[in-house]
This record gives sequence, C-alpha cells and structure tokens, in this order.
Amino acid sequence: MRELSIENLARVEGHGGITVTLDGKKVKSVTLDIHEGPRLLEQLVKGMTPADDLNVVPRICAICTLSHRFAAIRGLEKALGIKAPEKAAWTRELMMLGENVESNSLHTMLLALPDFLGYPSAVAMLNDHADDVKRALRLKKFGNHVMAVTSGRIVHGENPVVGGFGKYPSKKALEEIKLKSHELVPDAVRVVEIFASLEYPTYSEAETLFMSVNAPRKEYGYYGDTILISNGKEANAEDYKKLTNERVVSHSFAKRSLYQEKTFTVGANARLINMGKRLDGQAADLFKEHYSDKWLKNPLYNNLAQAIEMLWSLEHMPEIVDKVASMDDPAIEQPTRTTGSGTGAVEAPRGVLYHHYEIKDGLIDVADIITPTAQNLDDIEKHLKLTAERMLADDKQDEEVRLGLEMVARAYDPCISCATHLVALKRV
Amino acid sequence: MHKLRDAPGGAEARLRAELEDVAGKGKVYVLGLGNTDRADDGAGVLVAQALKKPFPEFSFSEHDGVEGTALDISERPGDATVFFVDAANLKSPPGTIRVIMADDINDKEITTHRVAVALMATLLEKSGKNVAVVGIQPGRIEFRGTVTSEVKDSVEIVTRALAAVMSAHN
Repeated sequence: MRELSIENLARVEGHGGITVTLDGKKVKSVTLDIHEGPRLLEQLVKGMTPADDLNVVPRICAICTLSHRFAAIRGLEKALGIKAPEKAAWTRELMMLGENVESNSLHTMLLALPDFLGYPSAVAMLNDHADDVKRALRLKKFGNHVMAVTSGRIVHGENPVVGGFGKYPSKKALEEIKLKSHELVPDAVRVVEIFASLEYPTYSEAETLFMSVNAPRKEYGYYGDTILISNGKEANAEDYKKLTNERVVSHSFAKRSLYQEKTFTVGANARLINMGKRLDGQAADLFKEHYSDKWLKNPLYNNLAQAIEMLWSLEHMPEIVDKVASMDDPAIEQPTRTTGSGTGAVEAPRGVLYHHYEIKDGLIDVADIITPTAQNLDDIEKHLKLTAERMLADDKQDEEVRLGLEMVARAYDPCISCATHLVALKRV
Repeated sequence: MHKLRDAPGGAEARLRAELEDVAGKGKVYVLGLGNTDRADDGAGVLVAQALKKPFPEFSFSEHDGVEGTALDISERPGDATVFFVDAANLKSPPGTIRVIMADDINDKEITTHRVAVALMATLLEKSGKNVAVVGIQPGRIEFRGTVTSEVKDSVEIVTRALAAVMSAHN
C-alpha cells in the first residue's frame, strides 16, 4: 500500500489536502481532506437581528464577502417581506460584477495559469510573463475598486443592507467605473485568448451535472430565484435542500452534497453551460468560438469559463452604471413582517451560494448556509480519482500525478475557508 | 538573513537608522498588510492608517487594495522604497520588530484571498524599487480579539520611525 499525498494544496484558500491510496497501480481511494476547522457561524447568528447577522456572515470569506452579504440580504428580505428598491437591485448587480472581475482575474491568471505554463507560481512567471501578471493585477485592482465604490470598502463593505443601501455610489464614481471598464476590455480579451490557447489534459474527463441560478430577465447574471440543472430541470431556490442533500463524511470538516445520488458542479463552467447562450458582446462571440462538448466533461475548462465570464462582467458594467446613475437615491425599505422564512441564492465566483433564514419575532431562529465549494467537493473527488487512475495507467511519475491532481482541484477554485488545502498518494 | 535586528522598546532610533539605510534615494511608500478583525494581525494596517493622514499619497493599507497600489508604484518613474508592514511570526516575544529584506521574504504563496508579498516585492524590484518588510511579532490573532499592549507600543514605534523617514524623503 502506498500513499501519494499533497498535504497542503497551494494556491487555494484554506487548509486541506488530497490523499490517494494506491495498491500497485490501482487507486483504492481518493479523499479531499479538509483540515480547516468548522466555524459554527450558523449557530453564532441564532438570536441575532438581521442587521447584526450582516456584520457576521460576510466574514465567512474575504474574497466573496459581497456574495455572502448579497445572499444573506436576499434571504432576509424574503423572510421579512421586503422588496428592495430598483436602484438597490441594480447597484447590487454592479457590486457582483466587480467581485466577479476581482476573483476571476486572480484565479485564472495568478493561481491556475502557472500550472499550465510550467511555473511553480505567479512569482516565477514574472520573469517571462510580466505583462500578463500586471494585466491580472490591473483587473483585480479594478474589481476591488468596484466593490469598494458599491459597498463602501474593498473587503467587508457595509453599504448594502437589508432593504437597500446605506449609501449609494456617487455619479462621479459611477462614471469612472464606466470609463475604466471600457478601458480594461482588451485585458480581459487577452485573458480569454490565453486560456483558449492552452492544452487541457483529458485525464479527468467524466460526465457530470451542472447547477447554476436562473438569472432574471432571461439574461446572464449572478443571482436568481430558481436553479437550473443541466439535465433540463429547474427548481425553486427555496427547495435548496432537495438540490444539495448535505451529509457529513469522516475525512472532512466540510459537508458534502449530492443531487439525486449524483455529484454535480457549480461555478463559472456551470453558469456558461446553463446560461452561456444569454451572453452578449465579445464575451458571446468568444464563448461561441471556444465552447465545445469537452466543457461538459473536463473541469479544467472552468478556467476558460471564468475568463469569458470576467469579460462579460466588464462589458456589462456600463449598462448597469447608466441605470444606477439615472435613479434618485431611495429610502431603505422596511420589513412588512417580523416572522417568516426565505432563501437567498446568488452566484459567488465559485458557484451557487445559498443563505436560508427563518426569523421569529424579528430575530434569527434558523440560519443555513451552503457554500459552492461544499457542493463541489464530491465532484472534485470523482474527477481526482479518474485523473489518478488514468495517469498511473499511463505510467506517469508521482510528481506528474500530483500536479495533475492539483490542477483539477484548483480548477474548481475551491475556497476551503468558506466550505469550512488539499493531495496525499498512499500505496497499500 | 541579513539586515535583521531586534528593535525592542527604546531602540526606536536604531530602527529609524535601519529604515533610513534601506530607503536610500527617492520616495518612501508604506503598504500595511493584515486583518484588523484578528487583533495583532492588523498591526501593519494600523501603522499605514496612522501614516495616511500626514502622507496620504504614500501610505496605503489592505483597505486601499495593496496589489493595485504595488502595481501603481511599480509603474511610477524614479527611485522609491516600499516598506511593507505586516504581522510576522519572528519566533520572538510579542511586539518584536524586525526589518526583513526582500530576498528573505518567505511569503510566496498566493491564495484566492491574497496576492503574496513576494509577488508584489518581485514586481517592485524588477521596476527598480527598493523593498523591505517591517515585521511585528503578534501576540494574539484570534477573531475579534483586541490588540495586545506590546503590539500597540510597537505600532507606535514603527509609525514614528517611518514618519521620520517619510518626512525626509517625500
């Protein structure tokens, strides 16, 4: 028995590892081990007011802080019978576009790309690809800027609240976003070109299901009240438990999800598979040019999907900015009831994020948060096992197998801190 | 590791002299790193925030987006020195201050949450800027904890020493 291990998966968020147990060339098991301790936030917010909850739950994650905040707001507003003003809805869309650019630029160019180009990290890439590293930093900076303008701060902004916004962005700040988003489109196109030109190893290929929100107005987008499944079905987000079926496994602090006993993928590839036809602009042209059936089997295409989606987010900003800028600042909408329940579903950069709340007499009685990485973990393990089996059958050396496994895990852009680092190869 | 020296209480003048040695010619920038939600981990941010008022064009923190700021500084012409200020595990008593040169930076890992100091340092050095890290040993880093008195004192020492160097250069 031998163990091939990646004790601490680098270039992801949080602490975890991958353990592959081998008997000769036969893979006995592959486990994605989550070492990050549980934070019990759902219990922590019990008894809090909705406003206090919003001070806590976005801190689950510093990169998708606004996704957590938005999902919580959506769940809480449903529970309290609040319809947010139209300007708040558009400003929330703008903040999600910013977060998408911020997160996808970092993951594609600085975390995933070094593997494909044969560098140990983006630091090493600086010698030969300084322009591309700078491109990534420019895009990330702009994404951060949009987040700060809309939410009040780069991380953990407080402006988006239940019922609207504490403060709306100024017209000057909005105009700057519009101009800069135009200016950065060529950078985003270059990122798509890079990821479209890469060779994607096929060891991990397997059929799976893809879940995403069904964005409103039949447009592409990052929130929705129903969930699209790539088998043609659609479900109400309120039925999230039937979609995720969370369970506990012994080797991980993160819960796992299966849909009808099958693994599934959430993330940029799921969004493009389910809603890619709704894209417009250059993003639509590049999606049509580069989409293939391989996306349905190979998780590595999530990197290309993130690149195309980031371009769409930039191209879409001017339209949203115009809408926000054309409206007067509305007052914050107040609750119409103090007892109720509601589920907020949004597309965090890593996939569908659910925040469900039950409120009793104005205080939180039940909170249930299901993160995208927790939904992806079983699917990651499935693709890791296939990768290990096929690479070993192909007489690949341990170091190559390790890299192959890390590339697959990283393609999902896992946020283990959110879900609660990641590879060990064990031979028997 | 070179240019490494403890600077406990009373050693402010030595710290200032060391920072001045590193600074050489050109403007001096401060980039404060850390998480103020985690007690002493936010020491670098506290230093940068204290320097923001007297040096608004030269002091930045996580709250301004450090990667973008590092990129901007790298693209500015002329000599410059960037001091990253961060809580660092120096395996020393809480509040210990050390100046660590760019070659000795161990933080090379980029995560979804943060671009490594090494990436920003390398980018800045390739554009001809001096880079060093002022590390402060934290004593407590738990979520929503309060800053220890040792680190509070060190934040004040580092702030005064950097302010003196920035006044002379900017």
